[in-house]
Amino acid sequence: MDTFLQQLANGLTIGSMFALVALGYTMVYGVMRLINFAHGDMVAASAFVGLTIYTEVLGQATSLFAVIAIFLLTAVVMAIVGIILERVAYRPLREAPRLSAVVSALGASLVIQNGIMLVWGPRMRIFPELVPQVYWDFGGVVISLIQVIILVLSLVLMVALYLFVEKTRIGAAIRASSIDQDAARLMGINVNSVIALIFIIGSSLGAVGGLFIGLYYRGITFNMGWQYGLYAFIAAILGGIGNIPGAMLGGMLLGLFNAFIAGYVSSTWADAFTFILLILILIVRPTGILGERVAEKV
Amino acid sequence: MKELQKFAYPVFFIVMAVLPHMLDDRWQAVAITFLIFAVVALSQDIILGKCGMFNMGQALFFGMGAYTTAILNNEYGWSIIATIPLAIIIPALFGILLAGPIVHLRGDYLLVVTIGFNIVFVQVLQNNLGGVTGGPNGIFGLDSLSFLGYDLMSQISVYYFAFIVLLLTLWVMHNLAGSKPGRAMHYLREDQLAAESIGINTRVYKIFSFGLGAGIAGLAGTVYATQYSAVSPEAFEFIQSVLFFSIVLVGGSSVPGVLIGVFVMFVLPEIFREFATWRYFIFGFAMIAAMIMRPRGIWPATFGKIPKFLIKDNNHGA
Repeated sequence: MDTFLQQLANGLTIGSMFALVALGYTMVYGVMRLINFAHGDMVAASAFVGLTIYTEVLGQATSLFAVIAIFLLTAVVMAIVGIILERVAYRPLREAPRLSAVVSALGASLVIQNGIMLVWGPRMRIFPELVPQVYWDFGGVVISLIQVIILVLSLVLMVALYLFVEKTRIGAAIRASSIDQDAARLMGINVNSVIALIFIIGSSLGAVGGLFIGLYYRGITFNMGWQYGLYAFIAAILGGIGNIPGAMLGGMLLGLFNAFIAGYVSSTWADAFTFILLILILIVRPTGILGERVAEKV
Repeated sequence: MKELQKFAYPVFFIVMAVLPHMLDDRWQAVAITFLIFAVVALSQDIILGKCGMFNMGQALFFGMGAYTTAILNNEYGWSIIATIPLAIIIPALFGILLAGPIVHLRGDYLLVVTIGFNIVFVQVLQNNLGGVTGGPNGIFGLDSLSFLGYDLMSQISVYYFAFIVLLLTLWVMHNLAGSKPGRAMHYLREDQLAAESIGINTRVYKIFSFGLGAGIAGLAGTVYATQYSAVSPEAFEFIQSVLFFSIVLVGGSSVPGVLIGVFVMFVLPEIFREFATWRYFIFGFAMIAAMIMRPRGIWPATFGKIPKFLIKDNNHGA
């Protein structure tokens, strides 16, 4: 039972990080029908940007103010990178065949990943200990302060995003663009602005996710984006890609699944089990758990 | 263009046939690498370019061929040449079995599932399932080539082995283009619904493309295992599949385009070694630029003998 509760806590922590990153994938896919392969590397980059802001801008201060500043500044920097990414690599290919945009996304991913390597070096860097090491022991189940912060902050961000998309006029524009871009344009929605906006939101959420990865795992490498990105992308598909609550649910489920595999089976098989789960779910429900069964556009 | 190609192909074959005698050891090895990866990229082209299946796991079939050869040679003492049939059949069978349940998936889902197959495969190799894959270190110390009692130890013989495999692959692709399955795959790539409505069993041809592409990639794996006389899991990671995927699309899924892509991706870095750390950074930009300037690839494939004015130039299919 202890293992179960412990892995439940770990799983929810990992899951909320997956969910934050998955939101970036799912929002871009929803509107542009494009797998943004560069998103995982953006997440990795934000951990490094946060590291540099900590050492260079804030002079290694670890007050509460400094932590908030790191999160905000990193989010702003990554939002700007996200807008540039969309302008340079995706906008010119909006009307091109689908696969051309996929290759462009892969190219952007290589550029960002190797850009990190050229700037910060190929070796693993250690993320600063911004949150004090506080642990609570609930009868054998250990929960750390970082886990609580990650879980609470992720949930707050996800609820805020959900309300924003469901309850505001801009949110309605995002939903409309993801249903039918042309019709949205006819209704007077500026689809270019909507796409810029989803890149801003997705990249900033990814930045928070990247900083969480740094805070939780401590070791950050230039090529970690592929792995976290792939997991987050699987989370988005599990939930039904293009569906915002689906990404949150998918992230949490995948995090729990991974934690239980690591706890009860073996972590060396985690990737394999994750993909087998994905393949099985896609065979049974090809559009994901919350995805609607839509007929293929002809 | 047609005249140019008529002239260019024999020149290419003659140059490739005499090439190893003009190169030193290091460049011979580079040339062999070019030939092997050209075969894998062409096999990927059958699945992705000709049939339009978003396959991002080609390194799996390549690796499966290489491991088949390595295990049969190392554990059971088969000669390299004797492993060839199984190194083609096993990946082809796996291609068919894996493709069977997933070919109905929509493009992007197929992409992710094939990535998944590739990652599961590498993890199986690393965890040494069945105790025959050698774990993370792989298998090393394979025999060199021998045929009818002759030892073909030299690098040049490996080169010609690779060259024959490339010629065979080009021959298969040439015949495919004019055959019934080739036409069926082309129609299904252009418009699946239309293909079905004229009586093409799209499911069969989708699976067929996976089987054929996997078999050819498996054969390339045998050559790879021969060249290094070793195999290890990291050579078949999913990043390799990403490279093959990109090469086919940037090249334009035509034979010359794919060969140019392989040359740029695997030979140019050997020439500009001082830029080694910048390699993927530059490739990334090149991929974006190539797609923006030529969304259909640098050398787009043409199909059949349809006059140009009859082809409607829109963004169908892919």
